[in-house]
Amino acid sequence: MSEIAIQATEVSKRFRIYHERNQSIKAMVLRRRRGVYEEFWALKDISLEIPKASTYGLIGENGSGKSTLLKCFAKILVPDGGSVSSKGSISALLELGAGFHPELSGRENVFLNGAILGISSAELNRKFDEIVDFSGIERFIDTPVKNYSSGMYVRLGFSVAINVSPDILLVDEVLAVGDAEFQQRCANKFQELKSSGCTIVVVSHAMEMIKNLCDHAAWMEHGQLKAHGEAQDIIEMYLRQVAHNTGEPYVEPKPEPEPEHIAP
Amino acid sequence: MAERAKGMVIHVKTLKSNELAAARSLLVNLTLRENRSKYKRSALGWAWSLVNPLATMLVFTFVFRFVFGIEAPAGDPSGLQNFGFFLMCGLLPWNFLSAGLSSATASVVGNASLIKKVYFNRSVLPAASVLSANTNLLVELAVLSLALVVVGQFVFLYLPVAVVVIVLQMFFVLGIGLTLSALNVYFRDIEHFLSILLMLWFYATPIIYPITQVLDNPRLSAAPIRTLYLLNPMVHFVEAYRAIFYHLRMPEADTILYMFLSAAVSMALGLWIFHRVEARFAEEL
Repeated sequence: MSEIAIQATEVSKRFRIYHERNQSIKAMVLRRRRGVYEEFWALKDISLEIPKASTYGLIGENGSGKSTLLKCFAKILVPDGGSVSSKGSISALLELGAGFHPELSGRENVFLNGAILGISSAELNRKFDEIVDFSGIERFIDTPVKNYSSGMYVRLGFSVAINVSPDILLVDEVLAVGDAEFQQRCANKFQELKSSGCTIVVVSHAMEMIKNLCDHAAWMEHGQLKAHGEAQDIIEMYLRQVAHNTGEPYVEPKPEPEPEHIAP
Repeated sequence: MAERAKGMVIHVKTLKSNELAAARSLLVNLTLRENRSKYKRSALGWAWSLVNPLATMLVFTFVFRFVFGIEAPAGDPSGLQNFGFFLMCGLLPWNFLSAGLSSATASVVGNASLIKKVYFNRSVLPAASVLSANTNLLVELAVLSLALVVVGQFVFLYLPVAVVVIVLQMFFVLGIGLTLSALNVYFRDIEHFLSILLMLWFYATPIIYPITQVLDNPRLSAAPIRTLYLLNPMVHFVEAYRAIFYHLRMPEADTILYMFLSAAVSMALGLWIFHRVEARFAEEL
């Protein structure tokens, strides 16, 4: 049995859906309560083992709890029941460039963002050139990031997050950034991380990408684990279900034909 | 409930020393962010942090010294008698408290997007706000010390004591900042409440008047008023700063004890409240 990177044991997460919310003391005193809310279980008894050095895909429809589970892994949310334990450092790509300060330069923001992601300044100093190279925006590194295009912004954020060499990388739907070339570079980087023993957990609706990248997958539905196992099988099951729900026939995906003409 | 406690235990276990190092590095970086971005794109830059207290000093000196005729006491044993210096010794630590608390209170709510997307030690946010305000205090005190040296007050003798007082005040402010920033997530009233509290607190502290005006005042001689007045930790902090910079003497022993106690109580309360509620920040924001 291989080592476990993340172990989730009967993880449950409850959210409050507020119908009326009293965020001031006056309203709270007058109504004698903090608000009227319904409880909603975003996750119910999820037990999952993610083996070390595996690439794990989380799939399912919108609102099925994939992102909530990922946030529990990242320790952003604390489960209301059960527990999550993990081995090694975690880097979460939930939003690129989270914490960038618009008035500061790209260089200053690399250090700030790195610190937010939990990297020491010594390590950042060592990796700085690599990060800037990867982002491909050397020329603008001393420009305030508010003058960046949205593409440049996410490229820099992505470069910081991916070059921190975490033991566990959590990715939420952020792979579709940058142009085709940058996406290719990201895909290569993922392969590189994978072969260096990094555990990657991906939440995505891009089935092709999950199929190419992941060896394992888990399918979530209404906050519960529907199935988990080999990525190929799970994705096929999921796509069959989707086809069944929409009433369209399930088409066996064909391998993509080779392009006939490539412009020189 | 027991299950929840189990989850918490595991979270605490994963808090290792490298996480502490990461929190420290984050604290430094966030403080730098506040300091750097504060005066970006302003022509005077850092000079603004000196212009502001100078302008206040001129206004207050005019109103309270010349209009109301409040006399500054003579420095004992320094012999210095100057309302401007007397005022600044109380105003600078007050400004630190006021600026530190205001920005710390807003710090958690203001960084909501960060809290929802990245895991890091949340108490770093109010701590960075307080540290940033503290840097300001250090710069201002350095300028004040220079000015005092120019008029012949050699304040450097008591510099080590000043460091102790500054550190104690920093923890005092940080403890309240932690409490207010956490409560502000649940009740946004805290920010409004704070501005009223600060106004009352300002006049309850001997900044624009000497403390003797209260303690030796026959109209305020009732025991409960005196006790209540002396309960205010800022009275003791201001007295300590004045002793060091204005009078050129050691602060009284019970002043030091009281500062130490208030810093300890404030930090204990702040950490306790903050850690009780921080786990839910990501969903409450």
